[in-house]
Amino acid sequence: MKRLLSARLPSVAPDIWLLGTLVLIATLGLVMVGSSSVAVADKLAGDSLYFFYRQAVYGVVGLVAGFIVLHVPMQAWQRHTFTMLGLGLALLVIVLVPGIGHSVNGAQRWIDLGPVALQASEPARLCLILYIAGYATRRQTELAASWAGLLRPIVFLVVACFLMLLEPDFGASAVLLAVAGIILFLAGARLFNLVVLAGLGGASVAALVMSSPYRMQRLISFSDPWAHPFASGFQLTQSLIAIGRGHVFGVGLGNSVQKLSYLPETHTDFLFAIYAEEFGLIGSLVLIALFSIVVWRGFVIAGRAIEQGQLFGGFLAYGLSAWVVLQGFVNMAVNMGLLPTKGLTLPLMSYGGSSLVMMCALCALLIRVNLESTAAQREVAR
Amino acid sequence: MSEDTTTNFTPPRWRAWVILGLFAVFGISLVVRAVDLQIYDEAFLTHQGDMRHIRTLEVPANRGAIVDRNGRPLALSAPTESVWAVPGAVLGAPDKIAALAKSLGMDPAALEKRLAQYKSRQFLYLKRQLSPFDAHQVMALETPGVFLQREYKRYYPAGEAIAQLVGLTNIDDQGQSGIELARNGYLEGEPGERKVIKDGRGRAVDDLDEYKMPKPGQDLKLTIDSRLQYLAYRNIKQAVIDHKAKDGVVVMLDPRSGELLAMASYPSFNPNDRSSIEPAGMRMRAATDVMEPGSTAKPIVLSGALNSGLYDTSSIIHTRGWFQVGRLTVKDELNYGDEDFAKILKKSSNVGAARVGLSMGPRGVWQDFRNFGFGETTGSGFPGERFGVLKDFFTWDKVETATASYGYGFAVTPLQLARAYGAIASEGKLRSLRLILGKGADMHPPAQQAISPGTAKTMRGLLEGVVAPDGTASRAAIAGYSVAGKTGTARKISSDGYHMDQHRALFVGMAPAKNPRVVTLVVVDAPTRGSYYGGTVAAPVFSKIMASAMRILHVPPDNPKMLTAAAYHPNRGG
Repeated sequence: MKRLLSARLPSVAPDIWLLGTLVLIATLGLVMVGSSSVAVADKLAGDSLYFFYRQAVYGVVGLVAGFIVLHVPMQAWQRHTFTMLGLGLALLVIVLVPGIGHSVNGAQRWIDLGPVALQASEPARLCLILYIAGYATRRQTELAASWAGLLRPIVFLVVACFLMLLEPDFGASAVLLAVAGIILFLAGARLFNLVVLAGLGGASVAALVMSSPYRMQRLISFSDPWAHPFASGFQLTQSLIAIGRGHVFGVGLGNSVQKLSYLPETHTDFLFAIYAEEFGLIGSLVLIALFSIVVWRGFVIAGRAIEQGQLFGGFLAYGLSAWVVLQGFVNMAVNMGLLPTKGLTLPLMSYGGSSLVMMCALCALLIRVNLESTAAQREVAR
Repeated sequence: MSEDTTTNFTPPRWRAWVILGLFAVFGISLVVRAVDLQIYDEAFLTHQGDMRHIRTLEVPANRGAIVDRNGRPLALSAPTESVWAVPGAVLGAPDKIAALAKSLGMDPAALEKRLAQYKSRQFLYLKRQLSPFDAHQVMALETPGVFLQREYKRYYPAGEAIAQLVGLTNIDDQGQSGIELARNGYLEGEPGERKVIKDGRGRAVDDLDEYKMPKPGQDLKLTIDSRLQYLAYRNIKQAVIDHKAKDGVVVMLDPRSGELLAMASYPSFNPNDRSSIEPAGMRMRAATDVMEPGSTAKPIVLSGALNSGLYDTSSIIHTRGWFQVGRLTVKDELNYGDEDFAKILKKSSNVGAARVGLSMGPRGVWQDFRNFGFGETTGSGFPGERFGVLKDFFTWDKVETATASYGYGFAVTPLQLARAYGAIASEGKLRSLRLILGKGADMHPPAQQAISPGTAKTMRGLLEGVVAPDGTASRAAIAGYSVAGKTGTARKISSDGYHMDQHRALFVGMAPAKNPRVVTLVVVDAPTRGSYYGGTVAAPVFSKIMASAMRILHVPPDNPKMLTAAAYHPNRGG
């Protein structure tokens, strides 16, 4: 660890668009956690800023984590991708062990660490993405050439997804698969093979949904929430009302009514609805734009890294930036009723320590890739 | 530099563009959806939100007070707080329920059961009309889902003395009986409205700009003089108790205007404690009970006879104690022999009155009663006031004409009887009775001339004789004032015919006799202890009430001779 931290940062300027956008999203997130949680915080903790303070502390922890990650060279990560795979799978197994895993609302997703609980799937997914990026770098030729080269990492992914579905955490496994698929696709996996796998994946998702009444219920209520606005469609209609009330300019920060014990999960999964109510269509468009900037800069950074021959950093940057924007878009789509409800947070914004700290680490990795490739570019130019 | 640069492989660029393109599609569909929701569906969604958020709260209006003619309060509204709850929210804090129940004076188990029963409701009254102090004790517990609502509670400072007249409101501040019912529209205000935004737990979090001020109701002034009302009630209550009677009524009116000064009846009830109310106490008997007036009808018949010009005060009626009319034997207590009108009244001679009535004929007597307002409402406007019972004269035979002449075979309300005597007391003018003064009063038809002023004056003179020491109502006399009046001792009728042992004791009179200021009717129904005559049961009540009333109203004494005599013998009988 000490050795890692002593490594110096490449002395080049980071991508100001990416860094600025991430800081903006995170700041907006902290403000919205404070604003959207006043009613629920007052009810649960008797202090309307309870969640705001906690999220601010998580933010500091996240900055520290990000600072550490920023000092770790890509090579170090690349050397330890198998360790990462092991660590990720281990986390997903541990959380399922009775007595260690901690269950909330019927989902066993947390590992109890005394004062805080760790949501296992958050670091586990990051570990697995690191592994996939490493694999794609190592076995690029096989990946592009054969079924075997594609299926080897897929096996581990399926195991990880299976473990996550046992919790159950459907959203997390879906995002992991999608991000892994994007990395493998961009690393040159054969399109035909990927399409076949995606078809198989789609079929198994359909089977999963059919087999579980609560997922089926969500799917049905999502397609017509106004059929049962006080039962199965309750959460979604409340979310849509919040978004609609925002109109063009929003009701103003702090003025949301829907957050006052109407819409559940305002500070976590449905943060966007309250944001859209308070900031209106202008706010919605700004947020969509901000996440778009992240993926745009992420891909620029990844492309530059690959140009510089830093394949691992490039693949990783593709995956991580895709992850942020994919999860952000899916969350917004769920809030707006375009996709059925999943337990997915709005990255960097929703309340939750594990998610925020993991996202900070993720961003630090992106910036590290950016710094290394820029430094290499400058080297070449010299 | 790096190890992997050795492969120097560059994946095809188009793949990255495909992924970016997919994200672009995703992003654009989000933009489209956001525009859709926040522009096109905004009206629908905001309306759906308003349906959930906005509540119209009623702001209760203060109900007008009822006051007596001197402005003394008879009914007042005081602000109270009602405690209501969102049952689900209260059940969410089970540790608070016991303390809440205690502060409301309820059984915790019963409260919890009730909350559970109405769990799906958003509104449940827990306790209504608490004093502001008690209500704030309840709120100090800070139980979630418990709220206050301002309501007004009606208080009746004059209590049982005027309970049936003023009446009651229900818990929703609506008049249920008496003046409260009759003048509900005038007394009740128009509630205001307040539109508020509620949070999901039912608390008002913000006021919208729409606010309609409540319009308070108007105060209503009665013609009643509460000093006379207390006086009348106290005395009739005492008389009913003393004589073990069924009930009693006193009506006092100002004959010069038709204004009712007091309307008391016993039994009554305490309007401030509704748990004690019994139906018998609720009736305003002066307006809602009918009775045969008995001998008190004789001055009405004789007035008509005088007014017709067929008789004058020197006319002599020959009697011998009884006479036969068809199947009916009309009897007097004694054989009074030849009688003039003064004697008929003084001795309350049935025979004399019947002979006069028969000479006027059915139509004459009936018309006379009509002239004095029998068979029609008095105009008081009191809810449930009765017309009395007065059959058409063409159904009357001689027997009925004879009995009607001394007050049987028809029925009047106490108000009607008092009103008729009001005409004798004031130049023969039959006036509508009034209960309301000033704004809010009904339009009344002009006074009708029942008899000529001269006849009225003559009749007052004759009725003074009744109160003279040798009259049937000597005990109605009051110190310092001339009194005119007539007793009545009516046998009570039931479905089996007339009771031999149940009577109604009446006295109706006026003072000062020369220029009457007050007409007072006293009815004591079914006295069972001691005497039962109008002259011995009702007349003394009249005397006590009127003696005080004259003082209260600052009426100058007109009979100094009697003043001295009575000063030494205030309760002198005759």
